[in-house]
Formats: sequence, C-alpha cells, structure tokens
Amino acid sequence: MSANVTLKPREFVMALSSTAAGGFVGTLLRDLLVRFEHLPSPTSGSVTWPQEIPWMLLAINFVGVFLATRLLRGPLRGHDPNDLTRLLVITGFFGGLTSYSGLFVDLAAIWHLCIGGAIGVAVGAVLSGVLAAWLGLLRHRR
Amino acid sequence: MTLLLISLFGALGCVVRYVMEYGVRRHHPTNRPWATVAANALGSGVAGYAAYRLVGSADAHVRDVVLTGFCGGLTTFSSAFAIPAILQREHHWGYSLALVITTPLTCAGLFALGMALAHL
Repeated sequence: MSANVTLKPREFVMALSSTAAGGFVGTLLRDLLVRFEHLPSPTSGSVTWPQEIPWMLLAINFVGVFLATRLLRGPLRGHDPNDLTRLLVITGFFGGLTSYSGLFVDLAAIWHLCIGGAIGVAVGAVLSGVLAAWLGLLRHRR
Repeated sequence: MTLLLISLFGALGCVVRYVMEYGVRRHHPTNRPWATVAANALGSGVAGYAAYRLVGSADAHVRDVVLTGFCGGLTTFSSAFAIPAILQREHHWGYSLALVITTPLTCAGLFALGMALAHL
C-alpha cells in the first residue's frame, strides 16, 4: 500500500487513462442501475420517507466495498497504488461505481421528510459499509 | 447523450481524485488515505452546493452530469471502507476506526456547508 513513486510523464498519462477508463464504466453502470430503480411506477399520492430510501445505491455501495476489500486483500494485495490494474479496478471502476456524494443527495431528500429517518439511513449506510468490508476480509482470514 | 456526459464527468471525477492521491503520496509518502478523505469531503461539498443550486433546474441533465457524474466519480464509498479495513488488518486499529467515523461526519458537514453557501 505504501508508495513513494514519481511517475514519468508517459506513466502518469497511462495512470490517468486507466483511472478514467475504469471510472467511465463504473459511473455508467451506477447510473444505469439507479435509473432502473427510478422507473415510473403506478403508485401516486404523497411521498413518504421510506419511499425515498436509495436501496439501489446502498446495494451498489455494499457490493463495491465487499469486492474492493476482497480484491485489495487478495489478487491486488501488495499492488502499488499507481499500478495500472489497481487504478483501473479500484480507483476507477469501484470509485466510479460507488458514491458518497450521491448518498448525501438522497439523504437530503429524506431529511426534508423525516430527520430521524435520514439519520437512521445514514447510520445504516455506514454500518453496511463496515459489514461489507468485514465480509470482504473474511475469506482471507486465517 | 446525457448518459455519455455523465460517464465522462464520472471519469473526470475519478481522475481528479487520483491526482489528489498521487500528489499527496508524491510529496508525503504514506499508506494512509488522506487524499481519499479529502476527495470525498470535497465531492460532498460540491454536491451540496450543486444539489441546492440545481434543484428544480430547468435542465435536469446538468444536475445529473454534475451530481451523478462528476461528484459521484470524485467521491468513493468503496475505498472509504476498504482501505480502513486493510489498515485494521495491519493493526492500525485506532486510525481505521477514526477513518470510519470521521469520514461520513466530515462529508456530511461539507455537504451541509455546500448547501449553506449555495443558499447565500
């Protein structure tokens, strides 16, 4: 995990390209999945805060944390942070796939309907991240 | 077209986060994710500002490109939890716990600050 590397210009461009490629695909996949969740439904009437819970983003974040932890502890263990594969997969793809800011945008919508609900979802999101990371480590425990 | 722009700005957000991480490691070698925390905080702040400014915007595409694309790419939930987990396995318990607790609080604070600045 440690690194003290100054990349050559060509290597730096490769690193940026690798990160951008992973980020492009990760963001695209996240957007498509979240759009799928927001397809118009026949329900109508007033919106309640539980309906605003971003289940898809929570699920994406959970899976992202789990797989990123597993990869960093397994196949990508010891890879330098500037390694192109790590940049493509961890920094780019999973970085683009998962989102912290998107979570807060959704929490703000819940906050306007129920402050307690927003705090509860926020705490749940953090705990789900901890659980996903713990599960990601399990396979590699001795 | 919007989907393409969202993905491109997501890639840009990831690149900005990487440049921040690279810049920190280059000048201050460390395996601690200071720059990732900073990127998450910055992205949350920008998201708070944009969410307030662009709410009800006539052009919802701009909102999607900025919030879902750029801010989504700049921030990362996976590394925010995966890296502390790895640090915990390397016996950096206190630091790992501090990261897990302070990152969401910092991001929430910056998101609220962004909204407050947009409200001015």
